[in-house]
Amino acid sequence: MITGGPERSAVAVPQPGQGAVGRSARARPLPRGSPLRAPYWMMAPSVGLLAFIVFLPILIAFYISLTGLNQYTIGDWLHAPFVGLRHYVDTLQPGGPFASSLFNSVKASLAFSLLTTALIMPIALGAALLFNQSLRGRAFFRAMMLVPYIIPTFVNAILWRLVFMNGTGVADQLLSAVHVGSRETFWLIGPNSLWAMVMADVWAAWPFVYLMSLAALQTIPGELYDAATIDGANGARRFLHVTLPLIRPTLGLAVVLSTINHFNNFTLPYVMFGISPPEQVNVLPLNIFVNSFVTFNFGLGAAMSVVALAIMLTPAVIYLRAARVGDES
Amino acid sequence: MAVATSARRSGSRPRSGGSAWHYLAAVAYLAFVLLPIGYMVLVSLQDSVTAGTVLVPRSIHWQTFAEMWATVDLGLYLRNSLLIATATGVCGSILALGAAYVVARFRFRFRNTFRTSLLATQAVPGVLLLLPLFVIYVVVQHALSVRIVGSYYGVVLTYMTFALPFSIWLLSVYVASLPKEIEEQALVDGAHRYDVLRYVTFPLAVPGLVVTFIFSFLLAWNDVLFASVLTSPVTRTIGVGLQNYVADNTLPLWNQLMAASIVSAIPAVVLFMIVQRWIVAGLAAGSTKG
Repeated sequence: MITGGPERSAVAVPQPGQGAVGRSARARPLPRGSPLRAPYWMMAPSVGLLAFIVFLPILIAFYISLTGLNQYTIGDWLHAPFVGLRHYVDTLQPGGPFASSLFNSVKASLAFSLLTTALIMPIALGAALLFNQSLRGRAFFRAMMLVPYIIPTFVNAILWRLVFMNGTGVADQLLSAVHVGSRETFWLIGPNSLWAMVMADVWAAWPFVYLMSLAALQTIPGELYDAATIDGANGARRFLHVTLPLIRPTLGLAVVLSTINHFNNFTLPYVMFGISPPEQVNVLPLNIFVNSFVTFNFGLGAAMSVVALAIMLTPAVIYLRAARVGDES
Repeated sequence: MAVATSARRSGSRPRSGGSAWHYLAAVAYLAFVLLPIGYMVLVSLQDSVTAGTVLVPRSIHWQTFAEMWATVDLGLYLRNSLLIATATGVCGSILALGAAYVVARFRFRFRNTFRTSLLATQAVPGVLLLLPLFVIYVVVQHALSVRIVGSYYGVVLTYMTFALPFSIWLLSVYVASLPKEIEEQALVDGAHRYDVLRYVTFPLAVPGLVVTFIFSFLLAWNDVLFASVLTSPVTRTIGVGLQNYVADNTLPLWNQLMAASIVSAIPAVVLFMIVQRWIVAGLAAGSTKG
């Protein structure tokens, strides 16, 4: 989806429906109007909207990926020439006309999402541990930590674009002032662009993991620490043997969710680099957008987005497994 | 909120020692978070000639905040975004509550399928949905001769649906944690299911609804991808509209762009700050209560 929400943390996995009225699906249908009958009409609008605005488009995307739909045939999209798996062959077969473009984008997306997640985890966990302790002004610090996360992604992208301007940007000026780099370091083109985007996203997205970690930490009863302290455990041991095992499920979920979010981030690369980005940051969502809405090769764009979905299935399945631990069968 | 207090109690267990180091770390984090924002403010106060090339303004150029409204139609974009995001938050949260109530209180055949598919939608790239969605809207437009692409409710409907999975999930966890005895009592007394929802469940679920409102609001406020295709010049949102400061072939007016960026971030920041305690508590509740 376009944004991944701060999903619940799964320390002990919540089970909506515990204490439900408990109608089994196999039970005899209840008469209409019975107060025990589920009021399905209440979920009808949600189900209808999800069906038409999320699930139907996924199916149509599969279909479009098998056609040669472009700006000339879009008016009559159902009769666009059927090309079968041609787009998939073009993008997936080594040496295909779009294979290097797709491969490069997959590489860029993976590098971006994994690097960002790897940098975010220690920053976020450190802050969560720090601000879980009693500290004067803690409420203020806790609130301020969320600011980068709330700033809209398009604002964040514009900000870092300015910071990384060649020569005049504050990044180049600082680097040259402390003699680490040249004033003429290019951040928005060439190999450094990946780092510029990683920096921008780390700054903007770390509070999400921080929030999840903090929520998990708050569920650990203080008695566990008291017991560990009495048993002679020092701070490091308390962290390794009490804190870490208890928040590990949440951290795992945070890693998966934040990887998915970074992988699907379109706004940041689009606003930072525009529609002709350097290859290092030509991530999949941007590449698909350009193929679909700039060069109007809708069929190809759809095929590439199906590939993106397939890649995202791996973390998604891990995430679903993790989220369903302890789920009622 | 009982949940909030218990979470706070366990969170504030006293620790001794290392206090100075803790403050040093806290201040380091504060600097990490605030320095880029401070930079934005500094640039917004620079004149348009030096904007973005220096750190400290030559002189405080407050006029930027007045000039930026004339360069692009910022007022229109902000109003559109406010309207669309608020409608998304309100409608999305209410619809989600209905679905969440059924999921939380009843067992039915496709219940787990439904819940799993809610989670699964989180992994779907937005860019995959954009074109098919556009095609569907165009087909519906032709069939019913109504305008969807470029209208307010086209985008609201879209954002609302994207916010539903998270909202339904969160609210179903929340509703399940509410005592069902009050509802049952009302039903036994002959109240209609709708009245129970309206007068019993809804007021109790308000803290959860606040979280889903904010989440949906921010989703709508932050989007650029769908707004770039589904809005017209009249319904253009701030995320797309801000690009106009750098569009055309003129030099970007960095000072105005930064000033407009600050203004466009304010509604989201203020909203989030007001309820951030609830959000941490809500997340904590989601991980302990069932």
